[in-house]
Amino acid sequence: MINIKDLHVSVQSDSGAKEIIKGLNLYIKAGEVHAIMGPNGAGKSTLSYTLAGRAGYEVTSGSAMLNGADLLELKPEERAALGLFLAFQYPVEIPGVNMSMFLKTAINAIRKRRGEDELDALGMLKLMKAKTKELGISDDMMKRAVNVGCSGGEKKRNEALQMAMLDPKFCILDETDSGLDIDALKVVADGVNKLRSPDKSFLVITHYQRLLDYIKPDIVHIMADGRIIKTGGAELAFELEDKGYADFVADFAKDDAA
Amino acid sequence: MNLKLDNIPTQKDESWKYTNLSRALGDLKHIKPQAPCEMLIYKKRGQNGGKAEEISWIAGAGEHQNPRLKIILEDNAELTVIETHEGAGAYWKNMSTEIIIGKNARLNHIRIQNDSYDAVHTNMVHITMERDSYLNSFSLNMGAKLTRHDIHIVLNGENIECNLNGVNLLGGDQHSDTTIVMEHVAPNSRSNQLYRTILKDAARCVFQGKILVQGKAQKTEAHQLSNAIMLSDKCEMDTKPELEIYADDVKCSHGATCSQLDEDPLFYMRSRGIGANQARELLMQAFIDEVIDNVSRETLREQIKAKAKLWLKT
Repeated sequence: MINIKDLHVSVQSDSGAKEIIKGLNLYIKAGEVHAIMGPNGAGKSTLSYTLAGRAGYEVTSGSAMLNGADLLELKPEERAALGLFLAFQYPVEIPGVNMSMFLKTAINAIRKRRGEDELDALGMLKLMKAKTKELGISDDMMKRAVNVGCSGGEKKRNEALQMAMLDPKFCILDETDSGLDIDALKVVADGVNKLRSPDKSFLVITHYQRLLDYIKPDIVHIMADGRIIKTGGAELAFELEDKGYADFVADFAKDDAA
Repeated sequence: MNLKLDNIPTQKDESWKYTNLSRALGDLKHIKPQAPCEMLIYKKRGQNGGKAEEISWIAGAGEHQNPRLKIILEDNAELTVIETHEGAGAYWKNMSTEIIIGKNARLNHIRIQNDSYDAVHTNMVHITMERDSYLNSFSLNMGAKLTRHDIHIVLNGENIECNLNGVNLLGGDQHSDTTIVMEHVAPNSRSNQLYRTILKDAARCVFQGKILVQGKAQKTEAHQLSNAIMLSDKCEMDTKPELEIYADDVKCSHGATCSQLDEDPLFYMRSRGIGANQARELLMQAFIDEVIDNVSRETLREQIKAKAKLWLKT
């Protein structure tokens, strides 16, 4: 499914190019859910933006393949058509573009790029009704401008709705739990769990173990200073919650030195 | 008779409103002035407009037109006026507009200025409104090499509502200037100005709007906002929002923004599979639709949106 090899990424800052991701390796099989946990500044969001193709993130070396296609060669919209989906940590407000129109445009743009027929108005309406009901999103919300005037919970619900409607193959959830109360968290997690299937993979990025109570990962990675320093099963998240990041980082530094 | 350009004052002369006009008219040396062409729309007391009045002004190469438009609504009358401007070649359309809106009268005024790219379009507007009256004005500026729109509005009574909306879509070396003085004379009236501009190539747009609240005009609510999106490095947006307030119990605001197309929504849309060009168009369309949505007639609203969409695609 997704295969990232020795990825190095720099961003421009006031003091010149700064390397954020320093040789990251990650392999996720189809159907698996991986979690990346790490302290602030570990490079988690840089990783998600790099994979989604945001401008300003320069890949200096390494590769990232999605189902055999070289992601790093593609524009963001081409990556989306291939099946990559990034659920934003801070979903962006788009004044004047309403949600249903936005979704229609996105779905048909993706279908067109995949060489499929555009979905007609009726098909679109049916799909939208079904998915909004599942996520408890009101019709009124669909008429509102994308994310404008929405609470944190509503924004994350919108992200889950988009994920469900665009039917991606590989989803990155960038700190989806940030700014969410427990009820909204459950709704969003349910939405994600419904999408789990043998042909879809997920990368869940989070600070806290809490989200992983609801979205059970197959594998947990700990990321610090631009690299993955430890990989384990779901139990690793609990261990981390107990011990904190510092111990792991210290252990890794010791191993690295030796 | 040819125009004597030497007689037109230069930029140095502050009291002259048509700064740079002589330069702009340099290319039009051989135009022939025509007698003023008058158009009077008169609605008697209590007359309900029914059908909209449609006015179309078309000019040809080498002409110097002086159209005069006078709209008079007596008390309680109601009217929609749709004014369109078109033409071909280089000409000067020097227009004056006078609008008098009586007590409790309502006017919807829609103006689509799509003059030829070689034309000069100047329009001096005087509007007087009496108590309880209503004006909803929308103006789309996309034509003419040089447009100068001077609007002076006097809100002469209480409980008046006055909305000025405008969209400027400019490219090439077009120059458009909108100058507004919104004068509140009596208490308890509301005015609102909303202008949105998209500039490409080496186009230049000026927005200077003044809200003038006289000492007696307490409880005035007056707002003004100009937003511009600049698509190229060579275009220029000059804004001068002004408030001049002599009353001490009013609610007034003014604001102006000039920026490029925001990168964040652009990336967000692209990450959902929408191509870069389509995403840009959607964002720009949304930007001006918020103004166009204030046009009261739905069919007209859609026509204006379609016109704007066509412009965005080029």
